[in-house]
Amino acid sequence: MNPMLTLIRKDLQLTWRDRSNWLSALSFACISLLIYSFAFDLVATDLKPLLPGVLWTTFLFVGVFASSQSFQREWDSDVLDALMLAPISPTAIYLGKALTNVISLLAIELVLLLLSTMLFDTAFLTAELILVVVIGTIGYISLTTLLSTLGTRARARSMLFPVLALPLLIPLLIAGVRASSAAMDEPIGSAPWILLLTVFAIWSTASGLLLFPLAVKR
Amino acid sequence: MSATSPDIPEARPSRLQALFTFLLRAVLPVYQRRWVLLPALTGVMMMAMLVGAVLAAPREVVEGDVQRLMYLHVPSATIGTYFSFLITAVASAIFLMSRDIRWDAVARAAATVGVLFTIFTLATGAIWGKPIWGVYWSWDARLTSTLVLLLIYTAYLLARSVAGPNDEQAARYTAIFALVGFLDIPLIHFSVDWWRTLHPQRIIFNTRPAVPNEMLFVLLVAFLAITFLMLWLIALRSDSEQLAQRTDRMRMYLDQRGNN
Repeated sequence: MNPMLTLIRKDLQLTWRDRSNWLSALSFACISLLIYSFAFDLVATDLKPLLPGVLWTTFLFVGVFASSQSFQREWDSDVLDALMLAPISPTAIYLGKALTNVISLLAIELVLLLLSTMLFDTAFLTAELILVVVIGTIGYISLTTLLSTLGTRARARSMLFPVLALPLLIPLLIAGVRASSAAMDEPIGSAPWILLLTVFAIWSTASGLLLFPLAVKR
Repeated sequence: MSATSPDIPEARPSRLQALFTFLLRAVLPVYQRRWVLLPALTGVMMMAMLVGAVLAAPREVVEGDVQRLMYLHVPSATIGTYFSFLITAVASAIFLMSRDIRWDAVARAAATVGVLFTIFTLATGAIWGKPIWGVYWSWDARLTSTLVLLLIYTAYLLARSVAGPNDEQAARYTAIFALVGFLDIPLIHFSVDWWRTLHPQRIIFNTRPAVPNEMLFVLLVAFLAITFLMLWLIALRSDSEQLAQRTDRMRMYLDQRGNN
């Protein structure tokens, strides 16, 4: 069997069995969505222009929160060195981890879209919007998975990780919000936001593939 | 006692090696004298720039004296910021390939100086913006991308400073971050450019009533002055970082000897 698929299966299996992790990410996502509703009173006024921003900030915070822990299990049990010694290319390890993250994040985002469809009475589960969300998720997860190799200094990492990741993700946030607005028929001008989103996804995946082997080399 | 063994033929330098030696001979004396050349050149050019900007350059008709900030602002924004961050990226790439920790010191030094110039650029821009635009800050494309650059490289310096000067793991990680951050600049630029734009366009090439020659000359002097200042600051900073690395290594060595 392809080693990358084995890694993905292993990671997904472990994620599924240890529910505390993704359940806390999911509850964090739902709670931040509700916090936005309380903070901006999202039922009173014309809320449609605000919703893409609300969704994408929630996605980014959950994504950064969840993927900063990508290699936590490997570090806790000192498996990363063994994994590097195994006859698997580091690229496969990276791709496996990134795909696992993308799959679990997409599941969470799907729940969020469903929840906001009910909460805000707006159609979120359209093909175009889901396409935007998938491209954007691939874009930011490939970057945060690369950055999550920060090392074992857990205290410094949990504080620093958002500070490192979020400025790099600003182009993605802008493009994602604008592309989602376009998908929801909001007037936002004519810039090719989906193109920028796709370029960002390709760029971050490429830099992840190229730089991850250097990041974990001993 | 023969000086050379007969078995080993004398190495004949290839053309590329000869060229390299020639270049090294040309550059090395300049590099070795950097502690004389850089402060001298920086001092002279900074003096010339100040005299030029305050006295020699004509007063701008519409904007008045506050326009004189341009001679500091434009070179700081271009050379001081982007060129420093380019040096950070190049030094990080060399560090990743060669694993020589001294290149990490160069990268950190250039990032520090770049952050300094970014703050200076934003500050002079704000001082200029209040009388001209009526606000200190606006979410214009160039201002926003400069601010994002500041955030990225402050995060870089933070991440690097939580680890010791010789921590190779941390150095490798932050080098990767510096490369990703530098390659992110075009994406940031496009995204915020499409997001909104208000900044005055470049004046050197595309204004109809041409900029007077005196102004252009002072601006050229300012560019040179800021370039030398940046190089001098980076040289100072990277030498002090390398000294910190050596001190750290010595301390580790002494600790080991003390324990035995």
